[in-house]
Amino acid sequence: MLRSVFGKSVHDLWRPLVAWTLFTAAWPAFYIALYPSIGAVEEMQQLLDAMPPAIRSIFVSEGLDIGSPEGYLNMELFAFVLPLLFMAWTIPVAAGATAGEEERGTLDMLLALPIRRWRVVAGKGAFMVVGTVVLGAGALAGLALGAAAVSVPLDMGKVAAGVVLAGLLALAFGGLALLIGALSGRRMAAIAIPFALSVAAFFVNTLGALVDWLDPWRPVSPFYHYIAGDPLSRGLDPGSALVLVAGAVVAGALAAVAFERRDLAA
Amino acid sequence: MTEPVIRTRGLTKWYGRNRGIEGLDLEVGPGEIVGYLGPNGAGKTTTIRLLLDLIRPSRGSAELFGLDVRRHGADLRRRVGYLPGGLRLYESLSGRELLDYFGGLRGRRDRLLEARLAKRLDLDLTREIRSLSHGTKQKVGLVAALAAAPDLLILDEPTTGLDPLVQIELFELLTEVRGEGRTVFLSSHILPEVERACDRVAFIREGRLVAMEAIAAFKARAVRRVELQFAEPVPAGAFAGLPGVRDVAQDGTTLTCSVTGPVDAVVKEAARHTVVAVTSAEPSLEDLFLAQYREAADAA
Repeated sequence: MLRSVFGKSVHDLWRPLVAWTLFTAAWPAFYIALYPSIGAVEEMQQLLDAMPPAIRSIFVSEGLDIGSPEGYLNMELFAFVLPLLFMAWTIPVAAGATAGEEERGTLDMLLALPIRRWRVVAGKGAFMVVGTVVLGAGALAGLALGAAAVSVPLDMGKVAAGVVLAGLLALAFGGLALLIGALSGRRMAAIAIPFALSVAAFFVNTLGALVDWLDPWRPVSPFYHYIAGDPLSRGLDPGSALVLVAGAVVAGALAAVAFERRDLAA
Repeated sequence: MTEPVIRTRGLTKWYGRNRGIEGLDLEVGPGEIVGYLGPNGAGKTTTIRLLLDLIRPSRGSAELFGLDVRRHGADLRRRVGYLPGGLRLYESLSGRELLDYFGGLRGRRDRLLEARLAKRLDLDLTREIRSLSHGTKQKVGLVAALAAAPDLLILDEPTTGLDPLVQIELFELLTEVRGEGRTVFLSSHILPEVERACDRVAFIREGRLVAMEAIAAFKARAVRRVELQFAEPVPAGAFAGLPGVRDVAQDGTTLTCSVTGPVDAVVKEAARHTVVAVTSAEPSLEDLFLAQYREAADAA
């Protein structure tokens, strides 16, 4: 395993990845398994309808009703929890990629080897992506198993669309963490800034749906491209997916360029 | 003339407003061991990290094997083994796993050499690095640097944490490296530790190179203090006129003087009398080094 930068990441982080995947599978499984026991779906829908739109929009994207299992998942899981589960992986892993080694002082020996700096960024970035795929598969498996256990019919195609977009969203913020880590060499900054921005992006999208002056700004928010297209009722929108992929790729490429050019801390 | 292994031209590095090194012209040829000496903070590590392209010069250039390190960094580093100062290793790996990783990234591996080096430095490669003492970690770093059989070894304070016996073994290893026509560039702030292993020494002070010289030439300029004890008082004037002799002083039957270069004439003159005891204090390179510093400081 210890033959490449990617392999070293696997060696170091496979245990946390397995643990986090189990958690990321168990949480959605638990949620969907609870669905049939929520007897008062009707009442809950009425409650939602009665809510001021500003409050409601924080829970539900427009137009979705929670009477369907997909609607329920959209509110309980996809609105923020699932992206958070994914970002709790991508952001720290990306932040630690170069900045972690730089802070621990192990980078000097690594980069004194005949290896280009961008390849270190690429190897560690690739591991972040593979880890996210594993997490996504775990979440999907958890949902499928949970739904099967309680015989809830779930449109797995649309659920998968939501999971894919949530993964891409997390990768976009992970790319940002990679970039900040490569630029600053400081791990905490590379964790804190993307997390703070993700919260801001969440509110720009949800509140933008209601506040007129904020509405034009919604496309700036990655959350808009993630959830505003309602993947759980309409499936995967290639355009939205492309925007998120582009965000992750551009951030990752900038991270590689920034890292190539910098003086590394001793 | 053969191509220098290391050549810097006007190499300068400022960290914001703080000086790293200033206008450094350094040349190291193949098959020599060069000691890079100076007090802490003089700019030794800065120079070394510039050579490895870990940091970038403010001005000037650095070449290894005739190629610019900025443009050919990764290819050049194929021929370089490096031990960082203030070494930090992957704590969760064993020594063997670390060599696996670095060997994998280098794309080449010599397990036989690794095992031989570990044996000579008395190092157990199966132990997790976390559990090793500071000196033992240093050994792991040295094996990792040497195991690639590089044409150029760059060692930043390699003797740190090593006990004297291991230091001797290390210098033995470095002498063998030189014997194979390979080059060693090592830094130290403790001259006596490295002087016996080096062919040449470069002194750096406050970011500037103050001297670069063969150890032998340096020692030839050494001024020895000689003390002669005779059975009875001797005429001091006979010694004062000898070549290379200065500061003759006499106290009863004891005569002291400073001798530059060979002491032959002094010994022969002394032999005309009954000599009870001879004491000759060879100045440490450290003293010479300090004298050189003082000269450089006075000149500045």
